[in-house]
Amino acid sequence: MTAVAAPSPPRMVTAEDGLAAAYVTELRKLLAQLTTRMLALVALAGPFAFAAVLKIQSGTPSDAVFGAYVHDSGFAISLVILGFAGSWGFPVIAGLIAGDIFAGEDRHGTWKTILTRSATREQLFAGKLFAAGTLVIGISMLLGLASVIAGVVFTGAHGLVDLGGQLISPGRALALTIVSWLYCMIGVLAYTAVAVVFSVATRNGILGVFGPLLVALLTQLLQLIGNGVIVHMLLIGSAFENYFGLFVTHPFLGPMLISIAVCLVWIGVSLALSWRIIRRRDFLARSEQGRTSWVTPIRAVAVTVAIVAVLAVGAGLGPAAVTAYRVSAAMGPEFNNLTLYQQALIGRHAPASARLDVLPNCNRRGGADIGPGDWNCNIYVYLPQPKSVPFQQTSVEYDVSVAADGCYKAQSPPAFLGGPTMAAPDGRHVTNPLFISYGCFNIL
Amino acid sequence: MEAVRATGIDKRFDSTLALRGVELTLSPGEIRGLLGPNGAGKTTLLQILFGLLRPDAGRVVLLGQEQDWRGTAVLGGVGGFVEEPAFYGYLSARANLELLARLDGGGAGEHEITDALSRVGLAERADTRVGGYSTGMRQRLGIAAALLRRPRLLLLDEPTSGLDPEGARAVARLVRELASDGVAVLLSSHQIGELERICTSYTVLRNGQVVWDGTASALEREAPASAHVLHTSDDGRALELAAGRSELRVEPLDGGGLVLLARTETLDRYVLALAAEEVAVRRLELRVSPLERMFFALTGAGDGHDEPASGEPLSRMLETAR
Repeated sequence: MTAVAAPSPPRMVTAEDGLAAAYVTELRKLLAQLTTRMLALVALAGPFAFAAVLKIQSGTPSDAVFGAYVHDSGFAISLVILGFAGSWGFPVIAGLIAGDIFAGEDRHGTWKTILTRSATREQLFAGKLFAAGTLVIGISMLLGLASVIAGVVFTGAHGLVDLGGQLISPGRALALTIVSWLYCMIGVLAYTAVAVVFSVATRNGILGVFGPLLVALLTQLLQLIGNGVIVHMLLIGSAFENYFGLFVTHPFLGPMLISIAVCLVWIGVSLALSWRIIRRRDFLARSEQGRTSWVTPIRAVAVTVAIVAVLAVGAGLGPAAVTAYRVSAAMGPEFNNLTLYQQALIGRHAPASARLDVLPNCNRRGGADIGPGDWNCNIYVYLPQPKSVPFQQTSVEYDVSVAADGCYKAQSPPAFLGGPTMAAPDGRHVTNPLFISYGCFNIL
Repeated sequence: MEAVRATGIDKRFDSTLALRGVELTLSPGEIRGLLGPNGAGKTTLLQILFGLLRPDAGRVVLLGQEQDWRGTAVLGGVGGFVEEPAFYGYLSARANLELLARLDGGGAGEHEITDALSRVGLAERADTRVGGYSTGMRQRLGIAAALLRRPRLLLLDEPTSGLDPEGARAVARLVRELASDGVAVLLSSHQIGELERICTSYTVLRNGQVVWDGTASALEREAPASAHVLHTSDDGRALELAAGRSELRVEPLDGGGLVLLARTETLDRYVLALAAEEVAVRRLELRVSPLERMFFALTGAGDGHDEPASGEPLSRMLETAR
């Protein structure tokens, strides 16, 4: 070691400088980590790989909303990826980025290193939050951008059949896709806040990473039980479904607005709890910490499970989200629109005001006509006759799988309306819109 | 203005009282050694000074500003580390320092970081990931990180732990130079010999309480007699000359030479007496220093360092010394 010069005056740090410094510091730390880089790579390359695989095979991920249209519109590819991301992708991104940002300091023993500089606990806490939020949102939007580009490159910027059975223009489809991705970011931030509270409360990076996944898994399980709308709307996962309300003939925004409020509550509560823990925490030297304890992580998981159990018990609270009336009311107009669209695809253009007289009759299989699950819909079509008999009645049967969010996938046996594809007048094979259709209704 | 004024510090962990009524002051330019056996409360006290722990009672004023433990920053001008310095293993030493300097406000320039790394002998490994560093290298990096804060108060916990003798001497040199420029330094260490070379004052903790506090010269005055090994041209004659001196205990060692237990002024007179009798002093080694004797006497930690009872051989002290 060499001689030192006389010490210069210490630097003074303002609150704004401190927050900015903490933010940049945390951002640089996250960007230097392999996990972050790998996530960004997957978010960038994953959609292209997915779209490329779809391009070379005839099958479709038809269980996902819009999945049947991935060969027809590039925007369907982006929306299918968004659907998957909402279920698992976003919790993984939030967990991997934010779940270790606090617990990582415990693992490296670096709390004492950063807390003995000139940034306050508030600044470090806020800096970590902003840095994690920036990267989680950044990587999520990178996934969204890549999915749109991949869809357009591999399938094309074509119009999309919406959830009301109408073909929307490419421009509108693009706009709705972008809005959907942007809207989902509030849910992504909610998962980020959940990851933070797990990371802070347990001081365990593993639980921090898996916390959002645990919440996502429990959310999905909760959506399978109970018919009430209240608990369903309190789940973060609902935020990743309610944008479907934008894709119907008469868009409904109520569930979206409620989800935004719910996510803000999740964020507020999670961050307030996290800050309370950080503010009151003693940062002990390792020699004083004793052996690593699993008591706190187990306690955190137990609290989570208890909350979920309470929610499960209350899953039936509130008015029923899925009823026979709502399913039928959605199926009828959609069938009408899809039939007209199908006729147009095969070269029979009906007048803009044309409509069928249809009477849907939907019943839930194996129980009362209420709640999500497997439904059966018979759509009676009354065809006008030129002579003495005024109408000829024919019926189409659909197997309908209805989710708790009011979205459904309807599939007709090929004997009724043909198979998944059909021949267009120019000889191309195009998707038969009546074979598999998707729809959504307002559950409020 | 004092660099540190801590008064009435209490800290309890569950049922353990880690600190009890601790008082500590430190002036600019002072190098104070913080001594105590394991569990005495040294690291806890340093953590409280850094604001990492909230005391149950008492107040701390650093560089004229009171710690309030409400999430506020460590005061500007306070640097150092607690326990082994910790860094991000996936970043290089330079990148670690850049991040820490940024947290100090604006970030030190590249030149300043390079200079700090050079001072601690890490310039050549500056761009190596810290994950591959040895304990000693992390210790050096910790000192470099502390220097970047341009400290007026330096709090160092076992700064020479893991360093080779040359590294430890370099740290001592650095600390002395900083102190000569007015930096107040509080050093916690188990290596009493190193503290003796640089400290101008001491605070000794035992079971969370201050059991001694004062300057190095006061300690010298109050400390028990120190133990030396003496080799002369005529050990038999030297033994005879010691016989009449009640304040001096001298015994022959098995392998040759003598072991002496005496205070400094007594030893001085004895050496002069040997010279007067033409007994040459060939080697005189300090084996158990006044600080060590004092430390062990105060803390009760050094079994074998207590003054041997009459009839008990002095060589027992040497066996357990250092």
